[in-house]
Amino acid sequence: MTLDQVILFTVDLLALFSIYLIINLGLNLQQGVTGIPNFGLVLAVAGGAYITASLSTRLAIYLLNVHTNLDPIVNNVSVLQLVNPILRSSPSLSIGLLALFLVIGGASGALMGLVSSAPAVRLREDYLAITLLAFGEILNVVGTGYDPLIGGPPGTSLPDIFGWAGQYRFYWATLIMLLVAVMIFVYMERLVRTPFGRVLKAIRDNENTARSLGKDITRYRMSAILIGSILCGIAGALWALYSGAVTPSYDRFDYTFLPWLMILLGGMGSNIGTAVGTLVFVTLDELIDYFKYSFAPFLPFNVVWLNYLLLGLLTIIILIYRPEGIIREKWASVPAAPPPSPTGEAKPG
Amino acid sequence: MASLLSVEEVAASFGKLRALDGVTLSVEEESVTLLIGPNGSGKTTLVNVITGFQKPDGGHIYYGGKEITRWSPQRVYRAGIARTFQVPSLFSKLTTIQNLLVADKAHPGESFLKSHLRRLWVKHEKERVEKASKILQTLGLTEQSDKPASVLSGGQMKLTELGRALMSDAKLYLLDEPISGVNPTLALEIFARIVSLRKQFGVTFFIIEHRLDIALRYVDYVNVMASGKLVAAGTPTQIVSDPKVIEAYLAR
Repeated sequence: MTLDQVILFTVDLLALFSIYLIINLGLNLQQGVTGIPNFGLVLAVAGGAYITASLSTRLAIYLLNVHTNLDPIVNNVSVLQLVNPILRSSPSLSIGLLALFLVIGGASGALMGLVSSAPAVRLREDYLAITLLAFGEILNVVGTGYDPLIGGPPGTSLPDIFGWAGQYRFYWATLIMLLVAVMIFVYMERLVRTPFGRVLKAIRDNENTARSLGKDITRYRMSAILIGSILCGIAGALWALYSGAVTPSYDRFDYTFLPWLMILLGGMGSNIGTAVGTLVFVTLDELIDYFKYSFAPFLPFNVVWLNYLLLGLLTIIILIYRPEGIIREKWASVPAAPPPSPTGEAKPG
Repeated sequence: MASLLSVEEVAASFGKLRALDGVTLSVEEESVTLLIGPNGSGKTTLVNVITGFQKPDGGHIYYGGKEITRWSPQRVYRAGIARTFQVPSLFSKLTTIQNLLVADKAHPGESFLKSHLRRLWVKHEKERVEKASKILQTLGLTEQSDKPASVLSGGQMKLTELGRALMSDAKLYLLDEPISGVNPTLALEIFARIVSLRKQFGVTFFIIEHRLDIALRYVDYVNVMASGKLVAAGTPTQIVSDPKVIEAYLAR
């Protein structure tokens, strides 16, 4: 690789890492910390992406005072030709709009979380997983069939809020995404260390006992789903803004199964583990992507399947040899705790 | 003394099995009351029904004069009744002291919104940590304080459960076999501690325990159950010489 290629590769990787870190922190709070197997993450990610995309051009016209009779979704391209030059000339306006879109993304995620959590918090693990898996499919059906949302199968473009950076657009966009991801990481790291976070972990470890200690399990699980979904919504909106367009194709492989693999790899219950797992996984995925065509002559199948095969293999290896992930939850990192003393040795204080 | 908890004609069943068949008993305020009976006589079921973990088929439960029949576990706990489980059920990935800290009826930091403002809860947290450390010390668990509950021995787990119950500031403690798996010296110490807590804070203990050699020395009253029914009740001396009790244990 030349230096330029290395830089491009790294920036690409960091963009993907940022998005997945946000999603995975949301999943880790639900599955790793609270014990809610959310197999419907894609619902909140797609909710954040589609609803933000749907509203973005409309809001931009309204807020930037662009007068046009064109429909922001049907005549999307023409309308954005009016909007984008204004945004390109004003970084501060663009950033303001970005902040607004992220709030919308988060709120959309929360809405999706609310939709899925209402029945879900009352179910136990396996039923919950199946219900959420099914919920995850809803939005693509709506997105494909209902054009005013994001223009049906062809999708729609979003205002280019990174246009002001010119040829450095992707660098700046990546930097901003990384910044958002790091802020969320710090926030989550603080949250799990509060007494609130402690109750979430208690519920994960033993639901009945938590109930016997007067905890309102339903409310806590609902909170975890909501916070996780808000993060997924923000990630969805960010990704849509970064890519500049959405189509109703956010699928459960990319936005449910991959996040699960990443937190499995990194270590459930730990935010640092989540970050490490995300970085390792995204890097591997990108490396395979980058080099896979060199292997084409030696493989008896189409190389497009190489990612799936290798990542599948990786998952099996993790589950066999290190089911707790790369980083264990923090207590276990205390060096060499002595084996528990037999009952007879416990001395009264 | 007035009765703090009274159970009247409580019945409960698992399918066709009558686990509780019209049990009536009461627990005097500030007493240490023992509940004994052969395995399968319904002792744990009774505790489950009182604490809302199982719905009774009939009967009434009164606590401090108020009817609490069919209340949810949360509500029962908040009303001032704490319980432990026969099989230790700790939060395995939390440390021992964290296990104790979760037992808090009104911790401002446990609310999502308030958890963001440290100053709203940090003082409360400090007090609770102090209290928890003291309890751990009494139970001989100071060294285990920062270890995850999953590495504790069976006896230490039982003690942690007891400690967690003691954190609750409850008026009534329902302990399901608090000293099973605990070594005799410590078991004696626990019962001595229970008696002194009762005097110190005016709290009440209702204890299921099989190890009568230890328990009988410390308790005020004993209730004996067999096949889902109360067969005898009285002071320890009355109970050990009661032919019905001997029959209940041997007839099975």
